Amino acid sequence: MTIARFELVRLFLTMRGWLSLIAFCLIWSILLRYLVYNASGYLLDEKLSLSIGGLTGNRGVQNLLAWPVPEITIFWILALYLFPFFSIILTADQTASDRSRGTLRLINLRATRDEIFFGRFIGQMVIQSLLIIATITTVIGLAIWRDADVFTSSLSLSALVSTNLFVVLLPYTALMALVSVLAKSARQATVYATILWIVCFIFIAWLAPQFPQLTFLEWILPGSQLSSLLQKEGWDTLSLAYIPLMQASILLLVGRWLMQRGDL
Amino acid sequence: MNMINCTNLSKCYSDKTALDNVSLSLEAGEPIALIGPNGAGKTTLMNVLCGYVRASHGSASVLGHPPGSAALHGRLSALPQDAQLDPRLSVGRQLRLFAALQKMGRVQATKDVDRVLELVDLSAAKNQAPAELSHGMRKRVAIAQSLLGNPEVVLLDEPTAGLDPVNVKSIRDLIVSSSRDTTFIVSSHNLDELEKFCTTVIHLDHGQLKDQVDLSAVREKGYLTIKLEQSNTSKIVEDLRNLPGVTDIEKKQQGAFAIRYDESTHPYFDQQLLKFLADNNQTYRHIIKGRTLEDQLFF
Repeated sequence: MTIARFELVRLFLTMRGWLSLIAFCLIWSILLRYLVYNASGYLLDEKLSLSIGGLTGNRGVQNLLAWPVPEITIFWILALYLFPFFSIILTADQTASDRSRGTLRLINLRATRDEIFFGRFIGQMVIQSLLIIATITTVIGLAIWRDADVFTSSLSLSALVSTNLFVVLLPYTALMALVSVLAKSARQATVYATILWIVCFIFIAWLAPQFPQLTFLEWILPGSQLSSLLQKEGWDTLSLAYIPLMQASILLLVGRWLMQRGDL
Repeated sequence: MNMINCTNLSKCYSDKTALDNVSLSLEAGEPIALIGPNGAGKTTLMNVLCGYVRASHGSASVLGHPPGSAALHGRLSALPQDAQLDPRLSVGRQLRLFAALQKMGRVQATKDVDRVLELVDLSAAKNQAPAELSHGMRKRVAIAQSLLGNPEVVLLDEPTAGLDPVNVKSIRDLIVSSSRDTTFIVSSHNLDELEKFCTTVIHLDHGQLKDQVDLSAVREKGYLTIKLEQSNTSKIVEDLRNLPGVTDIEKKQQGAFAIRYDESTHPYFDQQLLKFLADNNQTYRHIIKGRTLEDQLFF
């Protein structure tokens, strides 16, 4: 737990951490101001509804339009695709630069490789949870600003959205934990993750039509359940949680194996 | 129980054997020197003992536990070669993290960080980031982290490389003063330096254990190394050969020479030599009981 706690120090007490936070805040403040703040108007816009339909299907549009707090509806759609993107950037340097600098050796004299690997992963998940909570709290604030009566429904929807986002981010963070073991820097880890994701995507896209029995492979990729997730209602959204949970478990197991096997 | 045991230890990389069937056992006690030319396997041996790399063959144990074992946390410490702290976070904060990982409470961690920084004369650098420190200061901070808590064994890989003579001496003094409770294993190229405080020498070459020498024992074998003030020593060396007990004289670099004598029949040969020098109006720069570490191992 000491290692997980220290991840917060690494984020809040370093220039790189603050730059990441500032970038995150700037992007979200623009999105919150220009998309979420005007959410109720957008959801009545036929063109935008069609765009959402492209992502979610008709049933998805109906589900989302039925949400009582439009600010959270828009946030849910944005967050589902943007948070994974932030996750890849924010969590890229779990062990990479510490390994190339030799800092990991100093830590390894006091903590096992498992403690380092899982400690850093847990730390990153805690940080992302705090970011989710901070962002959704702002969204609730915007919703109440428009209509104070939506406070209660905002809270229950926020719990639903936060839980789902936390689960969605698990495999992305686990993937970055894995590639961070192989990389020498955060940038290299991000490149590795991108290459891995694209190669798997192309491979599966080529393989699935030729061998229909292998279509289940599409569930290998983190985020493969996102469009299906938008078609689910309420806590039923967690019925797909087994996919990211399994992806994260497998990625963490492979990452742990690489961490145990490799040189520090 | 031996402090360190290695049995047929080998480490092979794709195109190179870094350690080749090394077997040794080391007892706790006085500082131990690990020497050898570049590429001899010194760093690899230290890395295996710390658990940073895994041996290809053979086995090793430190304080009865396999390298990398959680049981060694806080008991085995090290200054790994070129390992650096995170350049962005303050020295004090990072050392407190290490102390916390060694199960120290907040107050104890702060005290111990202050203690080790004081030992390396860097208390003022506590709130500075490593990126703001000079190479020598960063090295001393890295040595400070190895002394956190009360480790029983500390492996120091080239601890004095890049340090100025004043700091080299302070590190040497630090090792000597901490040797009562901690066994240091020090790797270095500076044999003169190691000779000053190490009693056991592990000599590696091409990944193989060439020698394991107990300096305190070999110093009894009837050698005196002397360096005279005057540069032309030909005549005095010839006269020295005729001293009773002298069996051989080997010329060394820079006017020094090693005198071999029969210690069993002339146990006070050193006094005899001093009298000889006085009688011949000779002054000397230094006299060493035994031969230098360099002579013992390489000639």
